[in-house]
Amino acid sequence: MAGFGIGSEIASVAATATVPITAPPETPKLPPREWVKANLFSSPFNSVLTVVSTAILLTLSWNLLKFIFNPIRQWNASATNLRLLMTRAYPEEQYLRIWVCVAIILTLAGSSMAVWRTGSAMPVTGLGRKLLATGALLVLLALLAPFSAGATVQWLLAALVVAAVGEALRRTGGRGETERTVSTLTLQVVALAGLVASLWVIPFGHHSYIPKRIPQVMHEPGTVALSTKLPWTIMLVVVVAAYFGGVLLRDRLAENALRVTLVVLWLLAPPVLVYLILRDPDFDMGHVIGTDIPIFLAYAVLGSTLLLWLTRPSTGEIGRIVAALVLLAGFATFLSPMRMVLRLDLLLLATFALAAPTFAGGLRARKRYTGAWLVLLGVMSWLITSINTASTVRVPGGFFIGGLAITLMVAIFTIVLSVPLGIALALARTSSMPIFRLLATWFIEFVRGVPLITILIFFSIMLPLFLPRGMHLGEVAAVIIGFVLFSAAYMAENIRGGLQSVTRGQHEAAEAVGMTTAQKTVFIVLPQALRVAIPPLVGHCIGVFKETSLLAIIGVFDLLYMARYVVPGQTEFMGSARESILFVIPIYWIVCSRMSKASQRIEQRTGLGER
Amino acid sequence: MTAPTTQQRVSHRVPLWRDVIVIKWVTQVFLLVVVLSAMLFLASQAGDNLRARNINTEFDFLHEPVMIQISEGIDTHPDTGARALWSAMVNTLRISGAGIIFATLLGVVVGLARLSDNWLVRRIASMWVEGFRNIPLLVQMIFFFSALTALPRVGLGSGPVNGWLHISNKGISMPRVFIADGFYQWAVVVLIGAVAAHYVRRHRQRIQDETGASTSPILWALATVALFGLVGLFVHPVFSWLGPVFGSIADLFDSLPNTAPQVLFSAVAIGVATIWIRRFLSAHRSARGHLSLSDDDWFRMIFVALASLAVVLLVVRWSGLSAWALNSSRDLSEVLETKFEVDGAARPFDAMRPDIIQKSRFPNYGKNGLTMSIGFASVFFAVVFYTSAFIGENVRGGILAVPKGQTEAAKAVGLKRGQVLRHVVLPQAIRVIMPPTGNQYLNLLKNTSLAIAVGYSDMVQVGTTVFNQTGMTLPVVAIWMLFYLSCSLTISVFVNWFNVRMRLVER
Amino acid sequence: MSDATATEPTGGHTKDLSRARDMILCEDVSKWYGDFQALDKVSATIKEQEVVVVLGPSGGGKSTWIRCINRLEIHQEGRIIVDDVELTNDLRNIEQVRSEVGMVFQQFNLFPHLKVIDNVSLAPIWVRKKPRAEAEEQAMALLERVGIPEQAHKYPGQLSGGQQQRVAIARALAMEPKIMLFDEVTSALDPEMVKEVLDIMKALALSGMTMMVVTHEMGFAKEVADRIMFMEEGQIVEVGTPTHFFENPTEDRTKLFLSQIL
Repeated sequence: MAGFGIGSEIASVAATATVPITAPPETPKLPPREWVKANLFSSPFNSVLTVVSTAILLTLSWNLLKFIFNPIRQWNASATNLRLLMTRAYPEEQYLRIWVCVAIILTLAGSSMAVWRTGSAMPVTGLGRKLLATGALLVLLALLAPFSAGATVQWLLAALVVAAVGEALRRTGGRGETERTVSTLTLQVVALAGLVASLWVIPFGHHSYIPKRIPQVMHEPGTVALSTKLPWTIMLVVVVAAYFGGVLLRDRLAENALRVTLVVLWLLAPPVLVYLILRDPDFDMGHVIGTDIPIFLAYAVLGSTLLLWLTRPSTGEIGRIVAALVLLAGFATFLSPMRMVLRLDLLLLATFALAAPTFAGGLRARKRYTGAWLVLLGVMSWLITSINTASTVRVPGGFFIGGLAITLMVAIFTIVLSVPLGIALALARTSSMPIFRLLATWFIEFVRGVPLITILIFFSIMLPLFLPRGMHLGEVAAVIIGFVLFSAAYMAENIRGGLQSVTRGQHEAAEAVGMTTAQKTVFIVLPQALRVAIPPLVGHCIGVFKETSLLAIIGVFDLLYMARYVVPGQTEFMGSARESILFVIPIYWIVCSRMSKASQRIEQRTGLGER
Repeated sequence: MTAPTTQQRVSHRVPLWRDVIVIKWVTQVFLLVVVLSAMLFLASQAGDNLRARNINTEFDFLHEPVMIQISEGIDTHPDTGARALWSAMVNTLRISGAGIIFATLLGVVVGLARLSDNWLVRRIASMWVEGFRNIPLLVQMIFFFSALTALPRVGLGSGPVNGWLHISNKGISMPRVFIADGFYQWAVVVLIGAVAAHYVRRHRQRIQDETGASTSPILWALATVALFGLVGLFVHPVFSWLGPVFGSIADLFDSLPNTAPQVLFSAVAIGVATIWIRRFLSAHRSARGHLSLSDDDWFRMIFVALASLAVVLLVVRWSGLSAWALNSSRDLSEVLETKFEVDGAARPFDAMRPDIIQKSRFPNYGKNGLTMSIGFASVFFAVVFYTSAFIGENVRGGILAVPKGQTEAAKAVGLKRGQVLRHVVLPQAIRVIMPPTGNQYLNLLKNTSLAIAVGYSDMVQVGTTVFNQTGMTLPVVAIWMLFYLSCSLTISVFVNWFNVRMRLVER
Repeated sequence: MSDATATEPTGGHTKDLSRARDMILCEDVSKWYGDFQALDKVSATIKEQEVVVVLGPSGGGKSTWIRCINRLEIHQEGRIIVDDVELTNDLRNIEQVRSEVGMVFQQFNLFPHLKVIDNVSLAPIWVRKKPRAEAEEQAMALLERVGIPEQAHKYPGQLSGGQQQRVAIARALAMEPKIMLFDEVTSALDPEMVKEVLDIMKALALSGMTMMVVTHEMGFAKEVADRIMFMEEGQIVEVGTPTHFFENPTEDRTKLFLSQIL
């Protein structure tokens, strides 16, 4: 900027004045020796700290590496059992279903990345510096770990290659104006491609690599790499294609509509994947056509008519009375024996009827509201039918899938189902109605006061006792209910924090323009409250994912259970518990730390967007 | 005033279905009825199912013999269910207490390290936080368990200091100091010392306030307690007369009729409710004596009145409760009687060195030493490291929340670095740090329940064993909930008390 | 205490309100917060198209009173009748009064998560059940009337205080109210922005809107008010035309108040 005369100087001052957030002044790069002096040996105390912490760090890593890379570790226990760890005994011939699910999720993920414009530019020099540091760490690791001489040389060579690439990038990256950048998305794709390529080269989990053991546990010959290298290559192609598809759509269509569609698809994905694709329900067509579809049609026709009438602005108070009567009828159905689906549909209709005056309006608004009812009724009817239909996937044990798949499934279902319940509890706890407040407070404080494991034990053992005779609920479903109640109580507290951040004035302004309590809540209070609550909610989601590990205690075959009991229990790999636990630690860590990084980014973004 | 024309056209009657007050209370009562009937429905289902399976849900198993081995604690081979659960409860409290202390210390270190000037220390601390926070606690616990079982076998030569400290795959065993028969008498001496210390502190403080000289009142108070403790080691038998006193108190409880506690509890319940309602009314009465109450105010008063009536009804109908209160008061007095009626020469403390016994093929630690089993160690390390990562973040956040100007101002008046931290930064930061840290204490307590995965006999592990043997799932779950709820309540009361105190200091 | 309804609005103002109908009627309105009495038997009548300015010291019950008129606060005794609708527990009456009475707040209270145009059109769409296109057209017209059509697609946080308050006025007008309540609308504004808001209020008064204004702007009161009411300790102490009120007030408390602020 300097040297352009007074005029440009004034211009630049004005520019900085209007943009209050400027990049922090770049710290001058110190030469290595001075950097070490400033950051490690600035005072006698600091020098002592540096020496002591180096000593502690080296001893700890030395012992940890000795533990991890002990020659007696049988890493093949994890490599051979990858399928067991991921999905448990999901039948081999049905495995295509798993790949279809992965492909659907990757498609959604890829296009979402494009639509929400994730990924940022990273300077090449920064990348080089990171690779250089990684290389240095690898050198340290190779020297500390108890490798054989040959392995040490291999590791050192690998480390040197990484460091050399890093140094080359750092030098060629350019500086200042000429600085070159690379998208983080490209980097991720390159890394994934490298991993997939390694499947084609390295025979992970090959039996011939198990010294002096007879491969009798494995049902099929070959390696994990053999059976997954082609699918994973296709998945890589799918995700890249989905990304570019997303870019195309993003440029053609209205961005907001696209985002809404994607969110709806993400919400629909878990039930569709689990109940339609993975579980492959064995629909009894006679029953579906004879009972389920007529019930759906009856509710669709009657409900739509009712809702179209209720949403007419001229209906007035009679509408509210009718809606209340529908709700009463919904509860009254529990007094006489009938199909559960009839009751649930009626309760859903009552909810829609009660909310109808809030969303009343012109013909378009009324049609849209009725459409929402039809879609939700359809989803609910289909879900109830498919949950009550037996699966064609026959596996030993209680549930058709296990391992990482069930860990993810329980986590996702818990999060998705506990959001509405959490919002309801938070609203009840902050409501002006004292009985609502009392009930919600008691529930929340009770659940927050007891450990999750006691709730899970209660639900997995005791829930059958509380059900009417003849009604059965699988253990996984019972456990998910326990998880949802627990998670909703904590979520409610996060959301309550958001609700309290909405000022009294916002409530008053909404009331002053004549909004009803429901309209005020939906249009004014919740949008503001949820925005504030997003960072703690993401933190809560990380917590839910971590807590799924408790499934292992109550005997659900989740990832941790497979690693702790099933794999070390195989005669081939007797006593390989340490390998398995060392194998699952990085899986949990990567998922959690990625999510927490994402939450920090969201926090920064909302912080910047704060007005 | 002349009546304006508009007045006639306004109707006074509000139809019920349009009256906001009616709508408000009908909705609430409706929801309450739905919730209550759902609960009643579930309870009756459970009752039917239990009867159909011939399971009774009495608490009799508490007094019946059980076959449980508890990994460690006050009683490893309990004879009744109650004793087993009691022993497990002590184990839970022990590991939570130790965990809270060490997690706090480590958390403060981690938090300060994250703000250090030293690059290496900063990096290690942030690796610590990122690592431990993002791995499920249970996975960490199992990792520590599997790592600790890799330690060498137990044996006479297994300790770094043979006969004093042993580290092996059965745990860590070290010398144990334990309370002996004379402890309770000695404790009374120390209690008197504590009261004395309070007055000493006040006295020294007054001198300091008057003269301005530094009199170190806290030090004096501590010295007083120490003095009493020391003297108490020799003079404690003078309190053996407390034994008969407790004996006669026990007799008194024995002679009381069952109605006495009933009357007492009912009177307390009604009295508290009456006082509350009277205070509430006087707070709503204006200076001119006008009283205006909203519907919510009425609800509050009715709720308090009903609650007190419910307590009275419960006390009267369930005579077992008052019998239990009487009996346990008597039992407590009797226990105290035996504790104080000991031989005058009994020592308050004793100590023993760890021992190793070879009962079967595998040697194990004996009862003499203070043994930290592998199970205890895995739970302990896992909860301490995990919680320290969270507390560390709280500490860091709290210190960063103190405005920079405060530090600069303190430095400007010439305080040294340590003094700035102690007198200016920490007192302000602690107010930000304490509330979330209190939550972490609660989480730590609840997280120790995962000990079941590594075989440490805590409340949940022993409870599971008990109901697997007796089939009494519901009572055991009820005991769990009651135990954890009261612990959570205690911790939150303590943390709240601390927060309030801190806020008072601010003024 | 002088009788509020008895004083005829007269004086140098062009409006003749003697035969206008009653728009707001308060009769012995009282309200307590716990043991503190905020309103003490307040009685007043406000005619159609009348502009009433309520003056008085802070904590005198001015805000509580006008907030009772659209039931943001609930009065405990007495009657409030707005445009022939009595404010009771009747849900229909409350909804009717709320949509007929517009209110502007001291702290603007714009919805920060909505664009300016959505702030203005939200209530017409969902409360008045207007089609979105029509509501947005009307919102643009109102924004033009308050002089900030170019800010329609910004968020409230990007606007200055004066602009935000003008949006708040537009938002209230979008419901096509018969009465507008202004609760110290200029108190939170920087001095240079006060005028732009007061100008809009003056224009609104000239267009024949019934208005109740709680303010500390004496100039505005003198120039625009048909009547001035002075409130202290929950009571209406004095009522009169601006000329009467500023030039020869009868009550001692009014004189004291005027001597302190003028």
